[in-house]
Amino acid sequence: MELMKKTAAELSAMLERKEVSAVELAKAAFARTAEVDGKVGAYLTVAEDPALAAAEAVDRRRAAGETLPPLAGVPVAVKDNICTEGTLTTCASKMLYNFVPPYNATVIEKLTENGAVVTGKVNMDEFAMGSSCENSAMKVTHNPHGLDRVPGGSSGGSAAVVAAGEVPLSLGSDTGGSIRQPASFCGVVGLKPTYGAVSRYGLIAFASSLDQIGPFARTVEDAAMLMDAIVGHDPLHDSTSAKAPFEGSLRANLNADMKGVRIGLPKEYFGAGISDEVRASVLAAADTYKALGAEVFEISLPLVEYALPIYYILSSAEASSNLARFDGVKYGYRAEGCEELLDIYVKSRSQGFGQEVQRRIMLGTYVLSSGYYDAYYKKARAAQRKIRAEFAAAFETCDVILTPVAPTTAYEIGSRTTNPLEMYAGDICTVSINIAGLPAMVQPCGFDGNRLPIGMQLIGPRFGEQKLMNAGLAYEQASGLKNIIAAL
Amino acid sequence: MAITRQEIEHIAVLARLDSTGGIFDRLAEDMQGIVGMVDKLQELQLDDLNDVIDTERKNAFHEDEPVQHFTPDRLIAPNAPTFEAGGVSVPRVVE
Repeated sequence: MELMKKTAAELSAMLERKEVSAVELAKAAFARTAEVDGKVGAYLTVAEDPALAAAEAVDRRRAAGETLPPLAGVPVAVKDNICTEGTLTTCASKMLYNFVPPYNATVIEKLTENGAVVTGKVNMDEFAMGSSCENSAMKVTHNPHGLDRVPGGSSGGSAAVVAAGEVPLSLGSDTGGSIRQPASFCGVVGLKPTYGAVSRYGLIAFASSLDQIGPFARTVEDAAMLMDAIVGHDPLHDSTSAKAPFEGSLRANLNADMKGVRIGLPKEYFGAGISDEVRASVLAAADTYKALGAEVFEISLPLVEYALPIYYILSSAEASSNLARFDGVKYGYRAEGCEELLDIYVKSRSQGFGQEVQRRIMLGTYVLSSGYYDAYYKKARAAQRKIRAEFAAAFETCDVILTPVAPTTAYEIGSRTTNPLEMYAGDICTVSINIAGLPAMVQPCGFDGNRLPIGMQLIGPRFGEQKLMNAGLAYEQASGLKNIIAAL
Repeated sequence: MAITRQEIEHIAVLARLDSTGGIFDRLAEDMQGIVGMVDKLQELQLDDLNDVIDTERKNAFHEDEPVQHFTPDRLIAPNAPTFEAGGVSVPRVVE
């Protein structure tokens, strides 16, 4: 366990100094998983053999005198909607229960180039639709800080596996808050990058215009280290990937000086519906920034009132189209006893998709259907332009925006599964960022009365990840809230 | 705009989902609530509903060079529920 208490940056330095080998580190990660994952339930597939082979390869290269990238030998867990050649990729769905991708996602290729050791695939809400990990068709994942609580979602496994000290780093994906809300619930750092910063090739699509892959870590520096490895242009595979997202390394350019940095607090994000403990904790973080020399002031982003309808219309419309490919014909689950092709489609989809996925496909089909397209989808697209303009105007007066992540801390498993609208309401602070295509980072800023983590969200302008990480580092240093591992 | 049970059943047909059985009753009930939630958007007054295109963005092109990444045997066979003669087999469609 001692090794697994260390940050990725510390482990990287130890590997470089040959104080530990990549194989020893991988074995330590799997030993920790054997010790605690029975309680947490983060992993769907533990890829021990390929991980040890990758670790051995790193050790051989280092022994031969090669200078290796910082991630070489560092264990990383991966959300189960990111394609890994030769390793099950299920999207936590019965529909893809047996799917083994014939290719790697670009981010996996990049991890491999950087020598990272992929330890396995972690749990999520089915097809990334949900906010608690309870929509997984495979298993329940528990919050390491309170085993009766949800880890958040949809990247609940990615957050829990880092919070439990099973790995220092993981990858998740964020369509409406799916990295940030679980990071908040589990007391870790999670970054939703600017749309286009990270290639989506090999990420099984939910809503292609909103999806982004991003890092989980226990410190801002570690998140920057993983982000440095996965960012970049992917011209052949993802036409929406940006040519030059950032100048240089996010990690190398970290700077915690907050003097004169302008931080906006949008009043609408602190209103009714946000629990008193969450509000107080995020406002206390704002006071910390003031003490560090930042200018902190109130701003207004009134269109958040319409963010949930806009998000659920756009994301469900895209989901209904993207998930049309799952029809029982080419891969995945096929219903038994079908005598006609249409039967294969209908029965495979109805038996293979869970309830939440079916709800989203139905809503998406409805808002795109004849007679309703203009009133819902087209209007939501026009409203999306207004939200983008509202954020752009805000960033003329401030460098970063500080908000809560979710209205509450992690809630009890099973307490919100009967009412989808109650679950959707929890996304109110995060969905606008995807609608606007902006980057946002979450990190811990306190604990509630039950010792459950509270997170804060820093939002930046397009490709403003460096600003977020600098502000995040400054808060981390001032508060000491970093590298938090749950007691299990 | 309230959505009727008949409309929900029609949407299920379009979405290739089964509209029979008890599970669908629950789905139909949830749909009523969700459509009510997204209807909030109708309160938002917008000057121009046709303003939906990001004109500041440019298309990304690359040369269209054919590349054989995968063969059907490697791409499809390992994951297809039924695979014969280089293709996926399904029930007869054309008599």
